[in-house]
Amino acid sequence: MKRERPNSFVIAEAGKCIGCKACELACFAVHNQDNGVAASVGTITMPVLPRLYVIRSDSFAMPVQCRHCENAPCAGVCPVQAIRQEEGAILIDEDRCIGCKACAMACPFGAVSLYKSYGNGQEIEQPYLKEQQNGRLERKTRIIAYKCDLCRNIASAANTVSEETVTSVAVDQSGRLTENGGGSLPACVSVCPEQALTLVSPILGESRSRTAADVGSLRSLRL
Amino acid sequence: MTNLIPEKKGSSVMPNIDPIIHIDKQLCTGCRRCASVCPVDAITGEAGTPQSIDAHRCVICGQCIQACTAYAAESEPSLASRAEKLRQRGQVSSVREPLFAAYSTGHGLELKEALADPKRHKVVQCAPVIRVSLAEEFGLPFGTLTPGKMAAALRRLNFDRVYDTNFGADVTIMEEGSELIGRVMSGERLPMFTSCCPAWVKHAETTAPQLLEHLSSCKSPMQMIGALVKTYSAEVDGVDPADILSVAVMPCTCKKFEAGREEMNVDGHQEVDLVITTRELAQLIKDKGIDFINLPDEPFDSPLGKYSGAGTIFGATGGVMEAAIRTGYELMTHESIPNLQLDFIRGDEGIRTAAVQIGDLELKVAMVAGLKYVSSILEQVAEGTCPYHFIEVMACPEGCVSGGGQPKLLLETQRKSAYQARKSSIYRHDANQKVRKSHENPAIIKLYKDFLGEPLGHASHHLLHTKFISRSAKEELS
Ligand code: SF4
Ligand code: SF4
Ligand code: SF4
Ligand code: SF4
Repeated sequence: MKRERPNSFVIAEAGKCIGCKACELACFAVHNQDNGVAASVGTITMPVLPRLYVIRSDSFAMPVQCRHCENAPCAGVCPVQAIRQEEGAILIDEDRCIGCKACAMACPFGAVSLYKSYGNGQEIEQPYLKEQQNGRLERKTRIIAYKCDLCRNIASAANTVSEETVTSVAVDQSGRLTENGGGSLPACVSVCPEQALTLVSPILGESRSRTAADVGSLRSLRL
Repeated sequence: MTNLIPEKKGSSVMPNIDPIIHIDKQLCTGCRRCASVCPVDAITGEAGTPQSIDAHRCVICGQCIQACTAYAAESEPSLASRAEKLRQRGQVSSVREPLFAAYSTGHGLELKEALADPKRHKVVQCAPVIRVSLAEEFGLPFGTLTPGKMAAALRRLNFDRVYDTNFGADVTIMEEGSELIGRVMSGERLPMFTSCCPAWVKHAETTAPQLLEHLSSCKSPMQMIGALVKTYSAEVDGVDPADILSVAVMPCTCKKFEAGREEMNVDGHQEVDLVITTRELAQLIKDKGIDFINLPDEPFDSPLGKYSGAGTIFGATGGVMEAAIRTGYELMTHESIPNLQLDFIRGDEGIRTAAVQIGDLELKVAMVAGLKYVSSILEQVAEGTCPYHFIEVMACPEGCVSGGGQPKLLLETQRKSAYQARKSSIYRHDANQKVRKSHENPAIIKLYKDFLGEPLGHASHHLLHTKFISRSAKEELS
C-alpha cells in the first residue's frame, strides 16, 4: 500500500543568509567525487556547478533550490521520463536527460539549470552531434539538467574513493561527506555558518515544529 | 611613508609595495566571514558590499583566504576574464581551481620563468608542514606524509638543490636555545618571545614596538636557510651567490612579506628570492604534468637537507617550544632529557602554559596559538607582571599546519579533522626520526664545526640574527 507522505526539501531563512556561497561550494563538492573532487580546492579541474544558487538583492540574499514538488511539473514535461520520484525526493536521471530544457521552463522556482556534463573531471562529448568550431567539425559537449537531489545517490559516487580517504574526509556510511562523520544532513545544510538552511522532513515531528513558521502550510499535510 | 618593502629586482609581477593579501571586489559578496577569522580586525566594509583590507593592521596570515567561499561562478560573467584574473594574481595559466574573492599574490608564474633559466643555480627549501599537506592537493587523505615525493617533484621542476627548512629549524634551536639560556642566566629582557612566525613579528612591530627587545633576535628558519644557501652551500657547491635563485615553499602567505624585508639580506644578496605557498607548489607540479602520486621517494640534498625530529615539529603549535626544550635542557644540565615527547605542550588554539624543571631552574613557558590571544600577554609584559621565561607565538590557530597558504578546504566542517591529521602526521614523522634533537643532528654539528663556529658567535650574528623595526601607525604616516 502506498503511503502518501510529503517530500522533504531544504529551505532557507532569508534574514539569516549572509550570501557566502559556502552552500553552493559544498553542494558541488559532495556531488563531484567521481570527478576527482576531494577535500581541497586544488583537486577541482572543472567549473563549480552547484545545485542551488544564492540569489541576491540589495536587501537580502538566500539560496534557491528544488522544492521537490508533490506534483512535480518538471516531471510532467520531461519527454524522456528522466525525472522520477524516489523515496521522498524528485530526482533527474542524468544519463537519460537530453538537455531539452523543458523542466527548467516548467519549474516555478527556477531550480533547474543546464550545464555541461562531466566525467573524471573532463567534459563529456556526444557521440553524434557535432558543431563547427575553430574551422572544423568537433563533437559537441553533452549538456544536462542539474538540480537539488537532497544529496541522494552520493554513496555510489563515493564508492570510487579509497577506504582511507573515506574515513579521513569524514564520509558517513552511505558515503556522504558530512559534518562530523555522523549524521546525514544535506551538504548545504551542514556547512552553512549561519544555520540559515533547514532540511524539512514533513514526517519528522521535530523538524516540522522547528520550521513551523516557514512552512505553516505543511500542517495540513500532517499524516 | 617609509618604503617598507624594497622593490624586488627582476620582478615583473610584484609591484613596489604589494600588500600580498587581496580581496577581489568583483567577487566579494560582503559576507564578512573573512572578518570573523581575522585576528587583528584588519577587514573593513559594510555587510553585503565588497570588503577592504587595512594593510597597516593586516599581518598577512592569510586566514581570510582560507575562510572565503565566494567564487567566480561559471554562469555569472565577471568583468575580467579568468585568464586575466590568473595573470593579475601571479598564477600559472593552467590553474583550474575556482577563483575566490580573497587571495594572495602568487609567485608561481614568476618562478616558472625563473626555473627555465639555465644560467641560474636554483635552490629550494620546504617548510616542515608542506610534506604533510601537499598530497591533499592531489586528492590523498588529510595528513598524508610525502617528503620523498615532494623532493622528487622539486627536482623534476628543475631545481638544482632540494634543501629543507627543517634544517633551518635545527639551526634556529641552536641559536634561540643558546639565546634563551643566556637571557635566563642574566635575567635580561625576559620573557623572550619566539621570532619565527613573520605574522606575529609584524604584529609586534605594529602594535607593541616598545616590546621588540623581548623578541628573540633569531631570523626565522626560512631566512636562516636563505642566508646559508648564499654563503655556506654556495661555498660547498662552488657557485657565485649572485647566480643563485633561492626559493622557499611555505604554508604561509606572510613568508612572502618576510622574504622581502630589507634587512633579510646577506652581503648584499637577498636571502630568499621567491616564496611560493603549498598551493602554488601543487599548481606548478600540475602545470609541468608531473604524476605526483606515482613519484618515487627521493632524498633531500646535503648539507642543508638533513634534519632532526625537533626540526620537523616546528610546524605545529608548541613545536618550537618542544624542540627548544629538548636542546635547552641538555645544554643546561649536560644530562639527557628524561622524556622526549612533551605532550603537555601540544594542543591547539588559545594559550597553554607549563613549567619545566631544568636542573635547579623552573622554566615557565607559554604557547600562544592564534594571534588574537596574544594581547593579554603583551599587556602583562608591558606592566612587568608576565611570569613566563619563554613564549612561543604562532599567528595561525593551530600553527603552520593551518597557515594561509595551505590547501584550502571545500567544506568548513572538515577543518578540525584536516588540522588534526596534518598535526599527528608531523608528530609521527618526528617519532620516526633516528635523531630527534637539533644539537645531535650530525649536519648541524658539522655546520658549526666547519662554518659557524659556535651558536651566537660572530658568524652566527652576521648571518642568522636580525633586528626588528617599529611599524607603529605614527611613524609610518610621518
Ligand atoms: S540538499 Fe544536497 S543536492 Fe540539494 S542543494 Fe543541498 S547540497 Fe545540493
Ligand atoms: S551557506 Fe548559508 S549563509 Fe552562506 S550563502 Fe548558503 S545559505 Fe547563505
Ligand atoms: S572576501 Fe570572501 S569571505 Fe570576505 S566578505 Fe568577501 S566574499 Fe566574504
Ligand atoms: S591576512 Fe590575516 S590579518 Fe590580514 S586581513 Fe587576512 S586574516 Fe586579517
